[in-house]
Amino acid sequence: MGERVRAISPASFAWRIAASVLGIGLLLNGSLRMSDDAWPFGPQSQYAFSPASDATIVITRVEGLLADGRRIDLPLRVETAGISRAEIEARIPEITTDPSLLRSVADGWTSRHPAEPPLLRIWLVQDQTQLVAGGVGRTRAVELATWGLPA
Amino acid sequence: MRTLRSVASWLMPVVPESRVAILRTVLYLIVIIDIHLFVRDPIPLSRNPELYRPLLMERLFHLPPPSVPLTIMLYLILVAGCLLVAANVLPRLAGWVVAVAFTWWTAIGMSYGKVDHDHLALVVALWVLPTVGVIADRWRSVERSAQAGWALKCIQISVVFTYFLSALTKIRSGGWSITSWPESSILLWAIIRRPHGLGQFLLPYPELLHVMQWLSFTAELTAVIVLWLRGRALLAAAVFWMGFHVFTLAFLYIHFAPTAICWLAFAPLERLGPWLRRIKAGRRQRTGRRAPRHAVAVLGDHPIDSSG
Repeated sequence: MGERVRAISPASFAWRIAASVLGIGLLLNGSLRMSDDAWPFGPQSQYAFSPASDATIVITRVEGLLADGRRIDLPLRVETAGISRAEIEARIPEITTDPSLLRSVADGWTSRHPAEPPLLRIWLVQDQTQLVAGGVGRTRAVELATWGLPA
Repeated sequence: MRTLRSVASWLMPVVPESRVAILRTVLYLIVIIDIHLFVRDPIPLSRNPELYRPLLMERLFHLPPPSVPLTIMLYLILVAGCLLVAANVLPRLAGWVVAVAFTWWTAIGMSYGKVDHDHLALVVALWVLPTVGVIADRWRSVERSAQAGWALKCIQISVVFTYFLSALTKIRSGGWSITSWPESSILLWAIIRRPHGLGQFLLPYPELLHVMQWLSFTAELTAVIVLWLRGRALLAAAVFWMGFHVFTLAFLYIHFAPTAICWLAFAPLERLGPWLRRIKAGRRQRTGRRAPRHAVAVLGDHPIDSSG
């Protein structure tokens, strides 16, 4: 009836106490002092910042020009481009300096869409939505970088 | 001395080991689902070495940069290891291997610019569950131990810390201010950035969004209380947080499934086996056959929180 209790030695009692204190300490330290770099002991920083009531909200997209003349959206998801939007957004400064980094999106998309015509050029585009006094204002599209694929 | 002893008995309550055996089965199967649904990108990401930025942990342990063979190997190790531990076979050896492999796998997934925060409890679970070791009779175990209690307590603490620490981070990022996050335009920002969920309908009501921000911030800041709740109060808290996760999923397309599943560490899972056996016995009785007497015994019918 669940009455048998397994013994616990002083040593295994002690290291469990120590591990608990260490773990809680590392977690508190991560949230109060560290950055995401310290994962899994970093801060729980997802959605933890405070956008102002007049902030500009950006959605980053990649568009591609196909050989048949169509300009289409290349969805930034792992299934469609091999890489996700957040990963591209984290690299925007590098990509604007070296647009050939967009190769990862082009390669990822091409290998997952073998039936489509080849990609000639891709663009890194941002939809920028302006907040006005805490409400939603206008949205405009801005081109950040473009890269022509080597023929 | 007495304080130390009461802290220790709080950290290591003596609980049924069958609870850990069942939780193992569930969580290690969840890990297999996780590497297909949630942290599913390490293999495709490893094809882009130029985007790899190793985390502190990867630099500290001099881990080699991810490659396709490496990530496929981790994948295979995870599937095999998880199947073993889910069956409570080699829970220590296979458990440690899975802990290392899953931590590395998840770290790789977070080394290309985006770090997620929904895996804390699951990663902690994988590191503490092996410490319980072999559980005789697995799901049917009748033994109780502080070893099992400590593992469960660690998972419980990491679940509530996922919320509590996020509130701390919000206070810190707002310049150590309590009001800056709840009064900010964060939900508006999140809804505009993820324009697919039900959140669209809330866009015209920024004031309502502020109320929701205050609610969730207060809930997160006080989440630690859950560690001291019992019985119905604990159940109510669990229902509230499940509702919270369903809400963020429906309105923002943000799921915290790996955290949500770890709430099972609070549940009296040891009742599951006897309950299933009672149902089976009941069905046998209805169909006219006599149930074997021992199967009807209510094996694990302890109070919801049988901790000492």
